[in-house]
Amino acid sequence: MSESNDDLNDKPDSEVDDDSEDERDDDERDFDDEDDEDGEDGDDDDESAEAKSDDRGPRRRRPRGRRRPREEYTTDDERSLDALAFVTDLIDKMHMECEVQLTAPRDEEEAEIALEINGEDAGRVIGKKGQVLAAIQFLTNRVVNRPGLERRHILVDAEGYRRRRESSLASMARRLGKQAVTDGKIITFEPMNPRDRRVVHLALAKFEGVITKSDGEGDDRRVQIIPVRR
Amino acid sequence: MKELISTIARALVDEPDSVEVKEIESDNNSLIELRVAKDDIGKVIGRDGRTAQSMRTILSAASTKLGRRTHLDIVD
Repeated sequence: MSESNDDLNDKPDSEVDDDSEDERDDDERDFDDEDDEDGEDGDDDDESAEAKSDDRGPRRRRPRGRRRPREEYTTDDERSLDALAFVTDLIDKMHMECEVQLTAPRDEEEAEIALEINGEDAGRVIGKKGQVLAAIQFLTNRVVNRPGLERRHILVDAEGYRRRRESSLASMARRLGKQAVTDGKIITFEPMNPRDRRVVHLALAKFEGVITKSDGEGDDRRVQIIPVRR
Repeated sequence: MKELISTIARALVDEPDSVEVKEIESDNNSLIELRVAKDDIGKVIGRDGRTAQSMRTILSAASTKLGRRTHLDIVD
């Protein structure tokens, strides 16, 4: 692993910039990783591991917290274009200095409409605990998924905020999945919103030895990881 | 801020031409009054008021950038 990383590091930045794919791939490899707790560096684990073991000094692919916009994604899907037009208009009327673009749907979400907002006002667009971003996503959902239309999954991200968060939540779910198998006990999460519960369900969908389900009503709904005998 | 609320409301409702937005401004504060067609009120309020809440969150982020406060009233 560290050898291939050395190779990567010698390449220009442009060769290693597809964050969405990187994150998911890293995630798959992260099953045994125990120190990915703080939620900010879901995609940087091999790097820090290298920094510890390599006395030639740490090298970074790019500074933390700075992301280049994802690669442009083009489609002629009308509802994707509607979503793009709505969010672009919204950001413009909010007077935020930001660009909006469509991004490729994640692998497991073929019908997803994914948008990314980037620019100097991204912090304001995300808001405290992601509240403004959540509001933008909620309204986009209402606008795109009008009654009578087939429901499309909507993801509105800014500077990779959501994908980073979801990626660390997924890592945590897998870690707890492993623990549930080892201990043979049910693990119950804190109450979470539907979106976060979904991340946990998806992360453990193919995880051997456990099933997941949600229990409780409304704001008190929690995911449980239940070990099963095969 | 008026245009912001108008943009959102028009995208949400069935009758965009009936959307009316008034803004009453004083120093650092303004009040926005939103009126929509009777059958569209549910669409701008949403289940448990979540749509209205989302509009207020977005309005507040946009106003804060300008050092202002804006209150949204949905008039029925």
